[in-house]
Amino acid sequence: MLHLLLKRCLHGLLVLWVVATLTFLLLRIAPGGPFDSERKLPPEVIANLEAKYHLDEPLWRQYLRYLGGVAHGDLGPSYKYLDRGVTEIIAETLPTSLVLGSLAMLFAVLVALPAGLLAAYFRNSLIDRCCMSVAALGISLPNFVLGALLIWGVALQLGWLQIGRWDDWSSVILPTITLAAAPTAFLAALLRSTLIETMGEDFVRTARAKGLKEIWVIAKHALLHSLIPVLTVMGPLAAALLTGSFVVEYVFAIPGMGRFFITAVTDRDYPLIMGVTLVYTTLLVGANLIVDLLYGLVDPRIIRVE
Amino acid sequence: MALAGCKSTDKSAADHLRVNLGTEPPSLDWSIATDHVSFNVIANLMVGLTEFDKDLKPAPVIAKSWELSDGGQKIVFKLRDDVLWSDGKKVRAQDFEYSWKRLLDPKTASQYAYILFDIVNAADYAQGKLKDPAKVGVKAADDQTLVVTLTHPASYFLAITTFEVTYPQRQDIIEKHGNSWTQPANIVTNGPFTLASWKQQNEIELRANGKYFRGKPAMDKVTMYMVNEKTTALTMYEQGNLDFADESHSIPTLDKPRLAKLPEYKLVPQLRGEYYGFAVDRKPFDNPKLRRAFSLAIDREIFPKILQGGKTPATSWIPPGMLAHNPKIGLAYNPEAARKLLAEAGYPDGKGLPPIVLGYNTQEDHKLVAEAIQAMWQKTLNVVVKIENQEWKVYLKKLQTDPFVVHRAGWGADYPDPDNFMKLFTANSGNNHGRWKNPQYDKLLDQAASEADSAKRTELYDQAQKLLTETDAVIAPLFWKAEATLLSPKFTGLEYNSMARMDLRNVKPAGK
Repeated sequence: MLHLLLKRCLHGLLVLWVVATLTFLLLRIAPGGPFDSERKLPPEVIANLEAKYHLDEPLWRQYLRYLGGVAHGDLGPSYKYLDRGVTEIIAETLPTSLVLGSLAMLFAVLVALPAGLLAAYFRNSLIDRCCMSVAALGISLPNFVLGALLIWGVALQLGWLQIGRWDDWSSVILPTITLAAAPTAFLAALLRSTLIETMGEDFVRTARAKGLKEIWVIAKHALLHSLIPVLTVMGPLAAALLTGSFVVEYVFAIPGMGRFFITAVTDRDYPLIMGVTLVYTTLLVGANLIVDLLYGLVDPRIIRVE
Repeated sequence: MALAGCKSTDKSAADHLRVNLGTEPPSLDWSIATDHVSFNVIANLMVGLTEFDKDLKPAPVIAKSWELSDGGQKIVFKLRDDVLWSDGKKVRAQDFEYSWKRLLDPKTASQYAYILFDIVNAADYAQGKLKDPAKVGVKAADDQTLVVTLTHPASYFLAITTFEVTYPQRQDIIEKHGNSWTQPANIVTNGPFTLASWKQQNEIELRANGKYFRGKPAMDKVTMYMVNEKTTALTMYEQGNLDFADESHSIPTLDKPRLAKLPEYKLVPQLRGEYYGFAVDRKPFDNPKLRRAFSLAIDREIFPKILQGGKTPATSWIPPGMLAHNPKIGLAYNPEAARKLLAEAGYPDGKGLPPIVLGYNTQEDHKLVAEAIQAMWQKTLNVVVKIENQEWKVYLKKLQTDPFVVHRAGWGADYPDPDNFMKLFTANSGNNHGRWKNPQYDKLLDQAASEADSAKRTELYDQAQKLLTETDAVIAPLFWKAEATLLSPKFTGLEYNSMARMDLRNVKPAGK
């Protein structure tokens, strides 16, 4: 197990380096620079800015300077938010995204598991149709539409909840539902289909033939086996949810990190783009590692094969 | 979004004002800030030598008077001695000298350093050619006297001293705290409010400054939210959770007709213009007759309709409210004259004219305008017009390297003087995307800058505007902007000025 962990960590570092290098190079290819604005600056002012941020140095030196900074935990200055460094910006905004993402994950798991289970067990019944209709809606409805509908209905028309702030429990509900809707629907649909498949397997039939109670057949045999594909998608899903969503944070004015995935690119804020990309990659690698370890709990053979 | 049935969740207090900045201010360091979000915070934290009055003329603030000598090349500012920083120290002329030299210092890398290039040796110092800041022509003669020496008479220079980047700074504070001197625990300010907290991407809290030399403001607390989405911000206003909404950050275009019926709805004219520029160094727009034909074929009256109001059709360039504004200048809609000029240019009924590419940066309003003009030119001039949009930074790169033959651009005033608008099109201006060069235009602008008499300056700018929009028709001005605003009926006294600044110092609860 320790060997596996070490191997995965080394793989993770390699992935981080490749992602950092590719992002660094791609950013330099993109047209437009961080200091382009409606007001064209005099050449002497541009020269001062480039010197301040080392953009006048050869690309290889900028690259090494950046990697050196990252190795020391310094993600560099932001070209847009001039009073703060990227590390500080991420440290201040990531916790909000983590909280929102964790709530959305929790919501997704707590709703998707029973819904998928019920839909699979009562296959082709009214319960199944209701669950899967809602799931189809959740998958197909873009979150900016769902967010706008919730604001209009729940906040504006009914006045039940406030929006546009992140300061008490009432401001958390609508963004959590909006962010969790698609993953919940996806997980429920996935669990239903794998459970239906699993329940037709020989080992489930054997368990039933042995006279096991139906609840044990489902919980211990069918459900546990069906969790493997669900766990596989949970890794990337967790990374995506925990690093924040541009749309949800934008629509509900949540001070998280997700917005930077878009705004840092449009601002050509190279260090901030690099910073959020590295955070996302780290979480993705970490989440996949956890999923790999969970495989061991669900089915120890997977770890043994590795 | 319907207002009917809206439920309020209002939790406000009478001396607590809540406004929306829209986004995080990139910087509260007025030497490096460049955007109006940052300036909207800074303008409520700080005061400078002057501010512009209702006629957009510089009025005294910290400078109680000033004297011009040496033909307008030397300005001596006499400062008040009762203006205090929030830590109780007096504001001195040395604070201005330090701030201005810091703005010019290459290490600061200020994007607005060029605004002071009229000062003796300022440009050389900013370029690093001159190492000794003592040789720059700004000097504190004593605590209350600031002497500025210019390279040439510049009648607009006083207007520059209204601009936030020229506000004073405390050397001891900046040197002590470095880059983090703008954080709430470190910053000292001299304006109506102090910076109490700054939560990133979330909100800024200001508190009334008891040491403000004009007296403590009525609002004890101001919260500035950072809500990006206009619909969300408007919902907050309608729920009673926001007290002021402006069009730039909180009012969606489509909601304007509905909101216009509210008694608190106001349109505030802005010193901001939009135009289409022509690439005069490329065929077919190297022909001034063709450019005039295209400008004459634009029916500008349509813009207020398609953009839901708040736009004043423009044929000239200097906006209303500014010295030398003259709406009679320029080429007003005249399809007959346009077709005649098109024929004279060698393209009768549009024959022989290649497809024209019209470029703009991706934004809904720009798209509506481009589509309207595309239709007008196709109908009036019988030309094929292709419209092309690009993401903002890509578009800016395109403007600087290989601009579209017809390209959208706009300009908002840095300071309320026509020089700021007209200089865009001088031969060596980086904003002259059409690459037009006319020595006569440059000469007129130099003369106007040196001229102290307003009537004579106006005459000179009239001539320059005629060259720009009629004779050479380098640009086709489209409209000047006005900003829609909503102030909650619970408050009065919020002044939103023509340069998109919220002045909060006189805000009071209604009825008091």
